[in-house]
Amino acid sequence: MLLKTKKLMKAFGGLKAINKVDFELPANEIRGIIGPNGSGKSTFFNLVSGVYEPDPGSYIEFDGNDITNEPPHKVGELGLARTFQLLRLYQDMSVINNVMSGYHTLVPYSFIDAVTGRKKIWDQEKTIKEEMMELLSFVGLADYAELNASELSGGQRRLLVLARAIAGKPKLLMLDEPAAGLSPVNVDNLMKILMRLKEKYGLTLIIIEHILKVVMDTCSKVTVLDHGEKIAEGTPTQIKDDNAVIEAYLGKKMDDEEMRKALAV
Amino acid sequence: MDKFKEIIRQYPFLGFVIAFIILMLVPSVFFTDLYQSHLASLICINIIVAAGLNIVKGFCGQVTVGHVGIYAVGSYTAGCMFLYLGSGLWLTLPAAILIAGLFGVAFAIPSFRLEGPYLALATLGGGEAIRLFIENGDFFMSTYGISNIPQPEIFGVPFDTPDKYYYIAMPIMLMAIYFSFSVLRSSVGRAFMAVREDPISAAASGINVKKHKMLAFVLSAMFAGGAGAVYAHLPPGYIHPNNYTVIEMVTFLAMVVFGGLGHIWGGIIGAIIITIVYDLTRPLYEYQLFIFGLTIVLTILFMPKGIGGFIDKYFIDRRFKTKTGAASK
Ligand SMILES: Nc1ncnc2c1ncn2[C@@H]1O[C@H](COP(=O)(O)OP(=O)(O)OP(=O)(O)O)[C@@H](O)[C@H]1O
Ligand SMILES: [Mg+2]
Repeated sequence: MLLKTKKLMKAFGGLKAINKVDFELPANEIRGIIGPNGSGKSTFFNLVSGVYEPDPGSYIEFDGNDITNEPPHKVGELGLARTFQLLRLYQDMSVINNVMSGYHTLVPYSFIDAVTGRKKIWDQEKTIKEEMMELLSFVGLADYAELNASELSGGQRRLLVLARAIAGKPKLLMLDEPAAGLSPVNVDNLMKILMRLKEKYGLTLIIIEHILKVVMDTCSKVTVLDHGEKIAEGTPTQIKDDNAVIEAYLGKKMDDEEMRKALAV
Repeated sequence: MDKFKEIIRQYPFLGFVIAFIILMLVPSVFFTDLYQSHLASLICINIIVAAGLNIVKGFCGQVTVGHVGIYAVGSYTAGCMFLYLGSGLWLTLPAAILIAGLFGVAFAIPSFRLEGPYLALATLGGGEAIRLFIENGDFFMSTYGISNIPQPEIFGVPFDTPDKYYYIAMPIMLMAIYFSFSVLRSSVGRAFMAVREDPISAAASGINVKKHKMLAFVLSAMFAGGAGAVYAHLPPGYIHPNNYTVIEMVTFLAMVVFGGLGHIWGGIIGAIIITIVYDLTRPLYEYQLFIFGLTIVLTILFMPKGIGGFIDKYFIDRRFKTKTGAASK
């Protein structure tokens, strides 16, 4: 298993944001996580990536390493990358620098090399930049490389955080609502890019998404959270027909017509 | 011209050799009296401090209002080493850099927990504490100050007048700039900026936030300490606690803010302009705090990116247009 959690728990005061979640993800899978607002999806990401410290008794394993209490940069070093629901772009940095800082853990030269300004560094920096420019063209942002990230449109920003997360060649990429706020055309575009990236970099993916169509189309398996608990797990078709899911997530059982509408969003 | 730029980009050291040659020639072409040389040395010293401040504040985004204290540590390391050991600049400079670096560690620790105005207060307290400690210590000659700190000799030639001391201060300044360029243009500089922009995403990219805050504080403290030592030996070689007050701190800050936070060239230009203005307004001593405080406020309000913002704007717009072909149409 690439990622495994056992009895993962996190309470904020009296609120159990994540409650005894067992989760297993083999390499190369695309997993969807769905659930109503406030069900603990983002909290799950924050726990796994080390942003929040899990409550005692929890266990998280990534790629054979116990990362339960590792700080976020250690988890990142191990090859787990993520995006944030609120993007957290480096607003006042150029687009190319945003992506290049995602490459941080792979930079081949040492701090001493950097201070002394050896020529070797400039060559290596050039290679890194070329590689990152290639990634930028892949997501369609190459023309914007020297602009400030704050000058990009909403859709372009989503592509940029994606590129930044992939820059470090992660083993696992976790995306928190990558398509939120995009127009249907842009959602399709984003999903196409995502699938091509998955192929190219051999990524394993976890996607939190509210747009059901995205989840149903791209994920091989879906985990459903409600009130911090895992209430179902299975293929998209299984999930669609699961009574507990329908009650918690969709509110009521839908007839075929309504279901088709919901999925077409 | 583009070819020349490409060569400099490949061999940044070459750029500094050229700058060195030009700056060596400046006095004989432009300077008409000793005072101009003195001012030029002061500019060099302030550029070093500003380059350091730019690392911690401009690039890493950590507020510090205590840097003048570290500058004082550099000066007094030099002063005391002369006073008690008879050392000259070639010994006091590395010692000052080292000891200032240690103070940098101490100043970095509050930044792990505090930010913004709280961090400003903590570092302000630290800087003032250093000054008060010096002012009240007999070991530091308290309010008498330390005088007759000697100038260095090279091959038996003394550099003991302002026009000669420029040739000491200028190369040290160039070296400092070279180091700051090297660090800031590398992945370390990018990591600093990432920490400034969003420490949580930075950590998610595998950047150790605390380590980079520590690095930024220590590096910038080393710059300030080195500058402090060069200042202590500046003819006539006299230092006094009054030279390390909040006014000086505000002046240093004005240099990097006016020059453009996070912009290497901007910071240098800012240091040159503010040093000259500081000198011209010396007769208005009691208004200087107001003048430079106002400069900071106005810059932040009306041109938040300072001079560097204009430099960037010109270059970026052009690059963008060439790339998308808009310029050729
Ligand atoms: N840092 C925090 N402090 C206090 N409560 C928090 C914190 N983070 C999350 N919570 C609470 O935990 C619960 C789960 O939040 P979370 O952000 O994980 O939901 P979500 O499933 O991502 O929702 P959405 O679909 O709206 O993004 C919410 O009730 C939220 O208020
Ligand atoms: Mg969320």
